[in-house]
Amino acid sequence: MMKKVMHYMFLSCLKATELINKKSEAPLSCVQNLQLKAHKSMCKACSNYEKQSSILDNALQASLNKEGLSVDIDALKAEIQAKIKKG
Amino acid sequence: MVKENNSLSGWVDTYTQPMYSWAFHKVSDAEMAKDLVQDTFLAAAEKIDSFKGDSSPKTWLFSILNHKIIDHYRKKVKQPLRLENNSLEQFFTSDGEWKKDKQPGDWSDNTENLLDNTDFQAVLKECLDALPEQWSTCVKLKYLLNRKGEEICQEVDISPTNYWQIVHRAKLQLRECVENNWFKN
Repeated sequence: MMKKVMHYMFLSCLKATELINKKSEAPLSCVQNLQLKAHKSMCKACSNYEKQSSILDNALQASLNKEGLSVDIDALKAEIQAKIKKG
Repeated sequence: MVKENNSLSGWVDTYTQPMYSWAFHKVSDAEMAKDLVQDTFLAAAEKIDSFKGDSSPKTWLFSILNHKIIDHYRKKVKQPLRLENNSLEQFFTSDGEWKKDKQPGDWSDNTENLLDNTDFQAVLKECLDALPEQWSTCVKLKYLLNRKGEEICQEVDISPTNYWQIVHRAKLQLRECVENNWFKN
């Protein structure tokens, strides 16, 4: 019972992590922000989650956008030229 | 016709490089990027008659390529939604609390230079590839196209609820994978 009340007021970890993810895209409501703050102050795991989640956000952003993988463009050109001529 | 083929062949020479870079930037997969560029030129060859020269060849080719990129993502996301039911239960108890062995641990404080660390990037990539394809597609869309969830949902036609479920699960799994393979190693 006590747990249910606590979760209602201060969120479950499941809900807290969900809000942490959403927060990166859109602002939360005032109540949600307060709940999340209170939750994190009592929950080491979720406050770790938030820090790590933002590290992951930055890392994913950086690594996925990195120009990389040198591909043999000339080979690709030749392949395309051959296919166009056939077609 | 001969003349048109010649100009197309010239475009292949000129635009393959920038088109490949663009496609790679969008899909983050070299093979896929190559295929997309190739498909674009094949489509262009087929409908070269409809190219009136109102726009530059470059604009025309890139608009075909962009359609191919969106299609590629749309197809991937359209595959039947496979949200393993237990994937949240894997992390949380039925009360919604972290399971003991699933709680995010302390990552060392020196996470500052992580972004430049190629070994870390490799671990991250492996973890991303380990996700179910549909999840990693959503994650890639989110970060690559730098779009908000709402727009992604519209583009690939999934509901916002599904989108957030996928992102939530994907991030939980990614986080754990990175912790196990990087911070505990």
